[in-house]
This record gives sequence, C-alpha cells and structure tokens, in this order.
Amino acid sequence: MRGLVPIPEIRIGASKHQVCHRAKGKDMAKIDLPKQRLENWKEAMLQKMAEVLERYRSVRLFLDICVKCEACADKCQFFLGTGDPKNMPVARADLFRKVYKRYFTLGGKIWGRANEAEELDETVLQEWVTYFYQCSECRRCAVFCPYGIDTAEITMAAREIMAAAGVATKYVTEVVAKVYDTGNNLGIWPAAWKDNCAFLEQDLKDTEGLDVKFPVDAVGAEVLLIPPSADNFVNTDTMIGYAKMFHAAGISWTTSTYCNEGGNFGLFLNYANLKKANNRIIGAARQLKVKKIYWGE
Amino acid sequence: MGAQFLFIFLPYISVGVFLVGILYRFWRWGKTPVPLRIVTTPAPKTRLGVAWRLAGDALWFPNLFKADKLLWAGGFLLHALLWLVILRHLRFFLYPVPEWVRAVQTLGLYAGYLIPLPLAFLLARRLLIDRALYISILGDYFALLLLLSITVSGVLLEVFFRTYVVDVKALIIGLIHFQPQVPDAHWLFVLHFLLVMALLIYFPFGKLMHSGGFFLSPTRNQRANFQERFINPWDFPVSYNALNLSSAEKYRQALEEIGERAKR
Repeated sequence: MRGLVPIPEIRIGASKHQVCHRAKGKDMAKIDLPKQRLENWKEAMLQKMAEVLERYRSVRLFLDICVKCEACADKCQFFLGTGDPKNMPVARADLFRKVYKRYFTLGGKIWGRANEAEELDETVLQEWVTYFYQCSECRRCAVFCPYGIDTAEITMAAREIMAAAGVATKYVTEVVAKVYDTGNNLGIWPAAWKDNCAFLEQDLKDTEGLDVKFPVDAVGAEVLLIPPSADNFVNTDTMIGYAKMFHAAGISWTTSTYCNEGGNFGLFLNYANLKKANNRIIGAARQLKVKKIYWGE
Repeated sequence: MGAQFLFIFLPYISVGVFLVGILYRFWRWGKTPVPLRIVTTPAPKTRLGVAWRLAGDALWFPNLFKADKLLWAGGFLLHALLWLVILRHLRFFLYPVPEWVRAVQTLGLYAGYLIPLPLAFLLARRLLIDRALYISILGDYFALLLLLSITVSGVLLEVFFRTYVVDVKALIIGLIHFQPQVPDAHWLFVLHFLLVMALLIYFPFGKLMHSGGFFLSPTRNQRANFQERFINPWDFPVSYNALNLSSAEKYRQALEEIGERAKR
C-alpha cells in the first residue's frame, strides 16, 4: 500500500458525529455493568482511573513518556480515513492524558490548561465515547513509536473506565451478552447450532456421499474445536473442512454449545469480561472432558 | 548573597531535585505491575535479546526510522550531538582528565556548533506540519527552547565571550567535594549555568523522562516466550456462567423438537 494513501489535511471535528449507539440496559445487566450512566459517573470514572493507573504500568508509562514527535500520527487508518486530528494516536491518547494530568500529576494541578490538563466533564466524556470507539486496537502506532507506546492500551483503559460508570456501546455489550447467553458472538442458540451441524452432515452425504460426523457436546471426545461461530453459519465450507480433516485423521472431536466462539469481544470492553469470555473455553473443555483444545480465531 | 545562592545552593537544590525526581519516577513506574504480555513483534525470546533490542532502540531509534526518515535524521542527530557535548563537558567534572575525554574534545566542540541545527529543525517541524502543531503543547516548545538557549549560550561562551575554564572547573570540582567557592564569572556564563540548573529541575517532571522511562516500556522490554505461563499479579477469579454451562439441558426441549422434526 506504500505511497497510495495520501496523508490528509487535518479537519477538526471531521468524525465527531460518528458516535456508536448507546448500550442497552438489558445487555449491560447481563455483563455485570451499571444499566445506564451512573448519577455520579465522574467520581466512578476517576475512581476506576486511579485503579487502572495502579494496575497497568503501560498506561501510566505511556501517558508520561510521550514526546509528541508525531511519528504515529499518519500511521492510524482512522486518521488517514477521516482526517480528524483527534484520530491521530497521540491525540487520542491526549484525550486520556489531559484528564490524567488534571487529577493525577503535580504539573497538571499547578499549570492547569497550560499543561493541557483538563477537567473531566460532559464534553470530555463525549469525546471519549466518540474517539475511543473509533480505535480498532490494532496497535499499528506501537510499531512505529520509538518508545513502543501502544495507544490500544490507552483505548482499552479508557473503555474500561467508561464501562465502570455505565458508558458503553451497543455493539460491544450486545455481543458480550450474547456470548454468555448462547455461547457465541453471533447469537446462534444451541438448538440452531445442533441443527446446522445435522444439516451439514446430511448435505455432505447427499452431495459427496461422505459419512462425516459433526459431533456437538460429545462428552469424552479427544479434541474440543472452538471455531469462529461464523464457520457454522456463513462460512460453512470451513466447518466442512474441519470435519473432513478430523475424519481423515481419525480423531474424535466435538464442538460445544457452551463455547463455540474463540473471538473475544471482552477485549473491547473490560478486563473482567475479557477473562470471563475466555474462561468459557476451559469451562467447556472440563464439561466435555476433552484432552485437547483446537482453537481457531 | 546572590552569587552564593546561584553557585552554591542552587546547584545542590537542582541536582537533588533531578536525582530524587528521577528515582521517584522510576519507582512509580517500577512498582506498577504489567498484567498482560503486550510485546510488539518481532520480539526477542531471551533476556539477552531484550537487552540487545533495548540498546538498539536507545542508540539509533529503528522504529522512528521506519516511521519518518526526516524526523529520524533530526532526532538522531540531536541525540548523538547531545551525547558528544555531554562527554566534552566531562572535563569539568573529572580530575585528572582521562585520555578518552581529551580525545572527544574537538568532536564535542563541533557537535556543540551543530546542535542548534536539529533543534531548529524540530521546532520548525512543530510549527509547520499541521498535525504536529495540533498536538504540541507548551511543554514541547519549552523543552526545545530551553535546549536551544543552553546550546547557543554555550557556543557563545566558547567563541565570543571566552570564559576562564580553570575557574569553571574549580567551581564544579568544589561543588562535587562539598567545598564550594564562588567564582568571578561573566554574565553569559551565569546565564548558561542558570539554564542548565533549570533543565535539571525540569527534567524529571516533563516529557524528557522518555530517556529513562522507555526502558520500562512493556511493549519493548518483554520477551516472546509464550510457552511460559505469564502471571498477572492482580488477577481475580471470574464466575463461570453456570446457567449457560449446562445449556444442553437448558435447551433440551428445543433440541428434542428439532430431532422430531428431522425424523418427519
């Protein structure tokens, strides 16, 4: 792609209107978060921010040592695409940094705005919601930063802080809630999963005359396969491929209706849900007493 | 009294702030745990590899080279010249002067002449590139202008207002041995000295801490030893979703219906 994407002129506020939908209360309740934005959201956010700063060296260090050399600025696809200066990784981190400086550093408390410190208020929160959800956590900026400053870490911290105050987006919370309900991101219910597998079995018999099994929740199989759930929904050729491979190798295998998705949207929300969604894999393996886990995605 | 404050108290205060400040910053970062493995690839697998990578990063900024060649040239030139100038100044701190410090004197002198170039380049860059102008804050200009005024005053001291270096050395050696004496100095030297003290005091508070903090950066100093288990010191247990774990039972009725439908 080198040389093909021109670096845009900055256009202030170019993508500030592209805000994600607000999370629904019913999803938030399912993933242990406040149903809606708390009354005392500011205190809740600052409290969580203090906790995050104590827990992640990366966040504190990256906020402290950035020299604003601008090397990362034209590397972010969201900046290249929109031209909004707040989508430059350094400026995105600045959204966090200005609040951090105001409440957690001496320089920010003394110098205030001259040292880019800013109160956490409605405007800042709105910017956080907008721009921290315009980051895909791809970490491209970290590859070009001379100090390895990883803006994804800042983004994740910011989302964690917002989530603690009941501020999150519909897409992410809905998917995480679906994972707990149905076992996968797409919301394929166990019955539908089983039905799909039965259909593929029949289809393979009809078209190729092969007697290949698609076991579901088979206790005592050797391998638990954790595919991306789309493989049993749209990319069924991949699912057929798994089954043929296991069949040819003579390995007994199974999928689980408790955990049939390796992709983890907890990463885009907070640590607790990240861990909880990943723990399903161990849970499914224990439930089905398998020896190995094959984990796609 | 003014001279006494300037040449006796201020140096001790600023060196104290410098050392305590840096130690505090390192302690603050060091005691904060690294919960997850977030090393950027391609990453070394051994500790020796990490040391090699960090040394490379510190010496010639390979990431910056990938990112922006012109900026790399400016940044690299600035840091290399700064090192040479610092080495040249060691002659004021060491007695007798070692042979290798003597050897870099001329090189250090020319480095001093050249330093304003990369500094001016970096400053111009901040002002001329719209992206850089947008993110620059007061601290960024302050650091550049402080270094610029220190180097310009230093070069002027060397070229036009030549200072009697024996007095300077007596001042510094006196401070080191806690037997300070107030020299009779030119005002330009006083300015140069004052600015360096300001730099020492500012150093631990601002972005200049990138020099040391970078070594603690988890994306650069971790290993890619993924076969070893990485322990998160503040990890907490999460509950399994028991209701969902037994989903096969939960949806047994639905499954049976499907079975019956398939039979029909």
